[in-house]
Amino acid sequence: MSFEHPLRLVLAAAITVAAAFLYDRLTARKTSNDLVYSNVPFFVESVQPRAWIPAALRAAFVAAALFLGIALTGLRLSLPLPSNAGQVFILLDTSGSMSATDVDPTRAQAALAAARAFIEATPAGTKVGIIAFSSSASLVQPLTADRDLAIAALQNVPEPDGATAIGDALALAAQNLPAAGHRVVVLITDGVNNRGTDPNEVAAYLGAHHVPVYTVGIGTNSGGTIPGTDEEATIDEDALRGYAQVSGGTYARAEDATQLRDALARLGGVVAIERRDVDLTAPLAFAGAALLAGVFLTGLGLGRYP
Amino acid sequence: MNVRDALLRGKRRPRNLGGGSPTVFRGDGYEFVELRAYVPGDDVRRIDWAATARANALQTRVVLEDVALTLGCVLDESGSMRIGRTRPLLEAAREAQAAWFGVCRPEDRAVRALDDAIVPAKGERGRLSALVASAASRQDFDLDASLATARAALPRGTALLAIGDWFDLDARHDGVLIDLAGRFDCTALVARDPWYDGLPLRGLVRLRGAEGGGARAYVGERERVAYARAVRERERTVLERFERAGWRTGILDESDGAQSLARAFGVAEP
Repeated sequence: MSFEHPLRLVLAAAITVAAAFLYDRLTARKTSNDLVYSNVPFFVESVQPRAWIPAALRAAFVAAALFLGIALTGLRLSLPLPSNAGQVFILLDTSGSMSATDVDPTRAQAALAAARAFIEATPAGTKVGIIAFSSSASLVQPLTADRDLAIAALQNVPEPDGATAIGDALALAAQNLPAAGHRVVVLITDGVNNRGTDPNEVAAYLGAHHVPVYTVGIGTNSGGTIPGTDEEATIDEDALRGYAQVSGGTYARAEDATQLRDALARLGGVVAIERRDVDLTAPLAFAGAALLAGVFLTGLGLGRYP
Repeated sequence: MNVRDALLRGKRRPRNLGGGSPTVFRGDGYEFVELRAYVPGDDVRRIDWAATARANALQTRVVLEDVALTLGCVLDESGSMRIGRTRPLLEAAREAQAAWFGVCRPEDRAVRALDDAIVPAKGERGRLSALVASAASRQDFDLDASLATARAALPRGTALLAIGDWFDLDARHDGVLIDLAGRFDCTALVARDPWYDGLPLRGLVRLRGAEGGGARAYVGERERVAYARAVRERERTVLERFERAGWRTGILDESDGAQSLARAFGVAEP
């Protein structure tokens, strides 16, 4: 939340207080709708009139003044709004450990299936790109709004083999993302960065440029060894959590295909929602004016002005 | 037949009249007043033969008739009686009071009971024997004090008229009302709520209390129905309370106080 003219907050407060005072003065006037009654307590007790209606009108009048007053300050709020202009890079780990079968059928196959579901769930208009990485990173599919093209590109993702160059993948995504807009990176990996650029640096760079990195760790703790090797298939969860944290994203852990699909489905919402600074001057002014008109019209209709 | 006749018929006269009140009405009674020359029409039974012999002309004994009335009135002049649909209820109440005292004959006495004194009825001073005190109109009305004053100061057998809206009347007063009915011939006029037939306003209404206070409220159909029910219920409750205590009751209609009094006594004219 920010104010273009913060000093006008004082003016807004003064307007609100003055409105409350004015309303009370106006309603204190003797009007044709005054009823002098013998015994007000008897009336109130026996009739139980709806005192909340005049109270609500007064509250609405004061709220209208408050809205109009705040409208003068140029209030801006950062609000999550639906977006179909998102741009997301899916970074798929294709290192040798992704061929582990602790996730059915293999980590790599489950990741591809989840990525496919994720792409299908993105709002129309959202641009999706795919980067595969193992010992190095490669651009499988540049950003495209054509979901069919992106889904078809998943077939071009290489088979699992090699080391894990998470930093290189993040850097490639950074290079291929536009300089502005609603941008997101989704990193699906099971491994520990053991090649190339330091992922922390790149993640921090992305975060500084308002590109959150959402990391998804895939695999069980007892993932066993990488097929064909004696190397243990492990996850460096702390590192993945760190990449997310420094960039403004989140980390999720998926131990099977269902969890992976669910995690990516949740990230679909992140892509569909964009947090934007919204200037509330016009809406507040309109709401204040509408409320004010409503109070006056209601008051007139109910026999009292305001 | 009028209100006075109705009072004298004594159908509702109190049980314990005691010594009654002194009377100066010349008529068929026992207390000697004077001896005067016979005039045609005098009851021959009242001819004093000894005096006739002495005067050598017919002489009639004039005696007091035991029908003189003491009329008392308790009138609520508080702010709540100063409102009304077309005019203040108090105006109608004063009409009823005037009609009440209007039945007086020279031998009767008429007094008003205030919070702390009884005073001669307005306009009756000079031809009525009454206690002397100031009779200023009062904005506030102390029901308990007025009834206590009436009980303490008025003689037994007094015909007491009480006029008010009786908002303060409740079960606490039952004993007092019964006590008064045992001493006096009591009549209560209950001021009908000015908006008995319906509240005059709808929508957002500012209520201003006749005796202070106020409230802002929305009056819709629901409130109008509830009000009509509450007003009728209150009036019925007040009337029942008086009648249970042995009072004669009537409704004070804002349009005509005198006729309201007459209706309470079941007569055509006060």
